[in-house]
Amino acid sequence: MTERIRRMGVVLGFLFCVLLLMVTKLQLVDAEKNQNHPQNTRDLARDFGRDRGAIQTADGVVLARSEPSDDQYRLQRTYPEGALFAPVTGYLSFTYVSDGAERAFNDQLTGGTASAGDRSLKDLFQEDASSRDVTLTIRADVQKAAAAALGNRKGAVVALDPSNGDVLALVSFPTFDPNPLAGHTQADVTRAWDGFNADPNKPLLPRAYRESYPPGSTFKVVTAGAALDRQRELAEKDYPRLKQLDLPRTTKDLPNFGGGTCGGRIGDLLRVSCNTGFAQMGIDLGGQNLTAEAQAFGFGERPPLDLPAPARSRFPAVERFKGNDLGEPGLAFSAIGQQNVSATPLQMALVAAAVANNGVIMKPHVLAKVTDPKGAVTDTYAPSAWRTATSPETAAALKAMMVDVAARGTATRAQIPGATVGGKTGTAQTQGDNAHAWIITFAPAEAPRVAVAVIVESQPGLGDVTGGRIAAPIAAEVMKVALGL
Amino acid sequence: MNPTPRSTELALLLVAALVTVGAYALAGLGETASLPANLLPFLFTVLGLFAVAHIVVRRFAPNADPTILPIVGLLNGLGYAVIARLDADLAGLQSTWTALAVIAFAATLIMVKRAIDLERYRYLVALAGIGLLLLPLAPGIGTTKNGARLWVELGPFSFQPGELAKLALAIFFASYLVERRELLAPGGLPTHALAARARAMGPLLAAWALSLVVMIAERDLGSSTLFFALFVGMLWMAAGGVGWPLLGAGMFAAGSLFAVSVFSHVKARIDTWIDPWSDAAGAGFQLVQATFAFAAGGTVGVGLAKGRPDRIPAATTDLIFAAIGEELGLVGSAAVIAAFMLLVAAGLRIAMRAHRPFDQLLAAGLTLILGVQSFLIIGGVTRVLPLTGITLPFVSYGGSSLVANWILVAILLRISATPAPTTRDIAARPAQQVAA
Repeated sequence: MTERIRRMGVVLGFLFCVLLLMVTKLQLVDAEKNQNHPQNTRDLARDFGRDRGAIQTADGVVLARSEPSDDQYRLQRTYPEGALFAPVTGYLSFTYVSDGAERAFNDQLTGGTASAGDRSLKDLFQEDASSRDVTLTIRADVQKAAAAALGNRKGAVVALDPSNGDVLALVSFPTFDPNPLAGHTQADVTRAWDGFNADPNKPLLPRAYRESYPPGSTFKVVTAGAALDRQRELAEKDYPRLKQLDLPRTTKDLPNFGGGTCGGRIGDLLRVSCNTGFAQMGIDLGGQNLTAEAQAFGFGERPPLDLPAPARSRFPAVERFKGNDLGEPGLAFSAIGQQNVSATPLQMALVAAAVANNGVIMKPHVLAKVTDPKGAVTDTYAPSAWRTATSPETAAALKAMMVDVAARGTATRAQIPGATVGGKTGTAQTQGDNAHAWIITFAPAEAPRVAVAVIVESQPGLGDVTGGRIAAPIAAEVMKVALGL
Repeated sequence: MNPTPRSTELALLLVAALVTVGAYALAGLGETASLPANLLPFLFTVLGLFAVAHIVVRRFAPNADPTILPIVGLLNGLGYAVIARLDADLAGLQSTWTALAVIAFAATLIMVKRAIDLERYRYLVALAGIGLLLLPLAPGIGTTKNGARLWVELGPFSFQPGELAKLALAIFFASYLVERRELLAPGGLPTHALAARARAMGPLLAAWALSLVVMIAERDLGSSTLFFALFVGMLWMAAGGVGWPLLGAGMFAAGSLFAVSVFSHVKARIDTWIDPWSDAAGAGFQLVQATFAFAAGGTVGVGLAKGRPDRIPAATTDLIFAAIGEELGLVGSAAVIAAFMLLVAAGLRIAMRAHRPFDQLLAAGLTLILGVQSFLIIGGVTRVLPLTGITLPFVSYGGSSLVANWILVAILLRISATPAPTTRDIAARPAQQVAA
């Protein structure tokens, strides 16, 4: 019997060796494969279950927070303000996609990116890096005022402080409610996601910084800047009063909106948004000067906004104005922000900000500060310049002209009581008789604390009053609230 | 001078205590970055329980094997640390059960002076074993949990009588088989003995039927497999030959095939074992989550209280091995397997060194219980076998399991401490055994 007991030991020993082999396979050989298995939601649950700080506005309105939930994810992300701030907060979705501040400030919100792979001895004896709260520069009152003024029209509003780049409002319509995307039931999340993506109005698109439009006449500020900066004599030139401009080497004419007749010096041209004058000015400037000025204002480069994937605004390269590609007619159209020019609402707000801030564009940002759970500030955003768009002298001259536009030009409806406003309207032709209504403004002119860009998409009517009629009141409302007037 | 068995045991127990308290402290650090507030009381409780067990062994079985108690203490302590990290309420109960189990261990060592004494009550023990096994089927007190009818509830207490039944059956089998082993041994027998051999086969059929009843009526695949393996294993160790294991395996296979074709829950277990992924959110959930837990653990684990074993179903009981694999990694899971290997080796060594055939077979049978049970559940969690609901001895949460397994090792220690029979012992043996 002793011998058979020994043999039983051999059998059991063999069985245990099978276990050792299998557990080695599970924990060593197949570990990586199984960790990346599509049905493995552990990482996801870790991110979902990990403490995640709140996102709040500069004036203390909570935009996103994590609340305890009973399921395996332990925490449910909620967005108390829903769709209104979705262009800023973005969403944190089960499908592991995220956008907006949730994506941009993920590290701050979770307190770090320590993954299972990079642990140190210190981490073993330390609590998981604790979550942090993120305070934005966005002001709930400005955001609400901008959204209310825009109403149910497709478009976007950007408001920022030109002196430091603080973004005060980032409105986009239509928008979406991020709450269903943060749900924990895959089917519901998928349904909401598919619904948003199927919507032709693209509610998930933060138009304010990720969609480009032809900037139309608002771009004339840049063209004027090019003249002041690079071909000073054009600023003194008296442009002929015309109804339409005969474009060189074509049979086409470039008319003024609404068939008006206009001309004069640069200030006169800007006040009434004279197409024929600025088109001729573009031809006079030439591709080199116009392109260089557009680039100086930030066209062709992604603005360093601290939200994911801000779109590039575009201005044609110099070469395209030579020869037969765009040529001189192209210069004419580009100088008035049509054809091959496109800009995000953020970019146009930065144009206004450059004028308002002595020619310097501060880095646009939504992050104000990061605080730990006890409320102590762990990180504060330090403003810095993005680029110098133009000289202080040119900025001062442009500022005076834009104040004139608001005082007695196309942007009178942007006026607000208690502060001098500078502005420039725009009407960018789209299809048929519809046009995008634009305005860029700043106030108070003496020491601007807010710069605004508004676009309302596809409004009926082509007259250059469109921007002034539709977009200007929105900008006025936003500036009023931003300045506390 | 060689150290005495008891001083070896004391030193090893201190190591086990160190690991237990260390694991408990690390789990506290992992969870809150601070040492648990009750670390000192915990340390004294662990040391106290180990001291009680050690002193009882020192006093009542001074020559007992010195490795068993430290291994059991280590497994029990590590299991407790993992349970405490998963569920504070269960940890409170588990500590009470551990204390009761140590008391049962001590009582067994004190009361059972010789294992052979148990033989006298073998039919009583067999009846008790069968009774315990069938008790969950009794209306009124039997309770079904997670689809298996293994539980008996009496007022506020609930327990799994099957855990104690396996001890009773091992004792009965040892006694019965030692007595009949010549009859059951392979090889030619005189004609007049063939009928006796046929009669001796009766209990084999009874064990088979019993395990089928457990599988069918109580829906407990793990226990039924364990009982059958225990019987066939002990039969083979007693009688030898290849016939019994082959016959046993054939009968088990037949029973299994029958069960698979007739009972949906058995078939579901097999299907899930073969492919847990096709229904990863349903039937395969336990296995898939266990697989992900092992993957998350990797080589060195994510650290105690650093993982998400709360995502593993039944992480404190049947699937606790996956929780260990996640938080302690391959190092930890292999260590647990190694501990069971050492435990089995120590148990079989005791069996080989025992002086009486009954002691030999009982020790081997009891060790077989520990070996097969840990293999069944670890193999189930790691997909070596279909997953059957059964506890990992000493590690899983469960009062009945703890008490029964601590009694089991008490008997093992008693056997290891039993000296060779003297002439007086042989004279005192029951007449029939002397005759056989």
